[in-house]
Amino acid sequence: MSTARNIPNDRGLSLRMFTTGLMIVLLYGAVIGLLIAVGISYAIVLVLAAALLFVQYWFSDKIALYGMGGRLVTPEEAPQLHGAIDRLCAMADMKKPRVAIADTDVPNAFATGRSPNNAVVCATTGLMRRLDEPELEAVLAHELSHVAHRDVAVMTIASFLGMVAGMVTRMMLWTGMIGGFGGGDNNDNQGGDNAALVELAVLAVSVVVYAISFLLTMALSRYRELAADRSGALLTGQPSVLASALVKVTGDIARIPTRDLRSTESFNAFYFTPAIAKSGVSISTIFSTHPSLDQRLAQLAAIEAEMGRPS
Amino acid sequence: MGLFDSILGRTKPVQADLDALFGLPSASITLQSAAATACSGHAGVCFKPQTGQGFADNQAEVMALLQMDDTAGLTSTQDSFGYQWLVMEDPDIEALVTRIHLVNSSLADAGWGPQLLCSVFGLARLPAGSPTDADREGARVGAGSVLPSTAYLVYLFKRGTFYPFVPTGHEQRSTEEELKLRSLVADDLSVETDLDRWFPLWDLPVP
Repeated sequence: MSTARNIPNDRGLSLRMFTTGLMIVLLYGAVIGLLIAVGISYAIVLVLAAALLFVQYWFSDKIALYGMGGRLVTPEEAPQLHGAIDRLCAMADMKKPRVAIADTDVPNAFATGRSPNNAVVCATTGLMRRLDEPELEAVLAHELSHVAHRDVAVMTIASFLGMVAGMVTRMMLWTGMIGGFGGGDNNDNQGGDNAALVELAVLAVSVVVYAISFLLTMALSRYRELAADRSGALLTGQPSVLASALVKVTGDIARIPTRDLRSTESFNAFYFTPAIAKSGVSISTIFSTHPSLDQRLAQLAAIEAEMGRPS
Repeated sequence: MGLFDSILGRTKPVQADLDALFGLPSASITLQSAAATACSGHAGVCFKPQTGQGFADNQAEVMALLQMDDTAGLTSTQDSFGYQWLVMEDPDIEALVTRIHLVNSSLADAGWGPQLLCSVFGLARLPAGSPTDADREGARVGAGSVLPSTAYLVYLFKRGTFYPFVPTGHEQRSTEEELKLRSLVADDLSVETDLDRWFPLWDLPVP
């Protein structure tokens, strides 16, 4: 009796997530091998990127809160929000994260922080205005699942390589444009050609690595959204409430002016629903951090059906 | 949660721990002798109803089981957070704990352990002049009759711990009274050590 009413783990989802993670790890190995083969000069890029990412990871709570204009609130200021989170945490036996409210009408919520001990769950005023209490609770359960799954840490590690490759690409193009590829004056012709070849190869490899790791990261992000939906629905025991919250929020998002949305775009990976909602079928499902609404609703409906089966 | 579950984005539902409930009668005796306070005879179980017929069936079974026990005081209400409360009353603290345990264990045995949130036991200050020495004939535990509660002991299923909760008005609680209660019951009950988890339960349906 490991789960409520023995709702089984979604093996398919676990497998897809594991495969994606494995591919990211393999890509890591390949790139590090390549770096060693090419020479040590690119190690500095690696160190730099690692430092940047570490800062981003370590201060993820502050960065995200600052970026979104989120403000930590006390239980007295927001008794309803705190009450819902208190109960969910007691049900799930997890430490209560800090609670914040962002004063924007974009209906959304996010969870951030490097570990469950430093987590912050933030809801926007637009979200609280639009959803009724059970729906708000369902969204909070989804965010708490992100905290429990340590998604900030996982996504930071997963996106590291893409960031390195992106930096290398940009650096190469930049130096290439200024100096011309391999066009140092003090090089003799033979050496210049070799250097140009090597640099072109590095550029090509880093572009490819960037593309692959970008796609993999996006896929991983989508799987983790589905996993958080699933855990959240199991925690509240009411998948259909989360589904209705999703429908309300995504429906509303599309109607909000774009200027507001652009300013929140870079935080999509940690969001409940992405702020740029594409209506209809988009060519870019594989470029998306979040699974499509249909996909999320279908999963919730499947859980609901499993719960509905009489014992 | 293990590393593997973290990597695969899974959470295991936490099962409820029911055994620590039986420390309550002795805590009530301690409170009675030390602070002229005892269990008020009111108690409630709070759980999150899960969607679907399976849960509804089990809940109906539990209700039927409790109603067989002839007692009048059994009410079922839903609070503003969507949690279900089964509130019952019994002047005999032992009987009350047994009934609460019956609800909890029937739900947990049917696989609904993860849905249980907490049990709440009311405490009341005994009327002045009532005998507080427990060695009187019969060594009666508790108020002997049902009193309105002024303070509560909350049992967290997932932690297996108690914490005191003393509401004093609209969304206000008396931390001082709570800490006092904690020191009194600390020997009899396992008290929640993480104060962050002493969450308030405003508008408790337990009278």
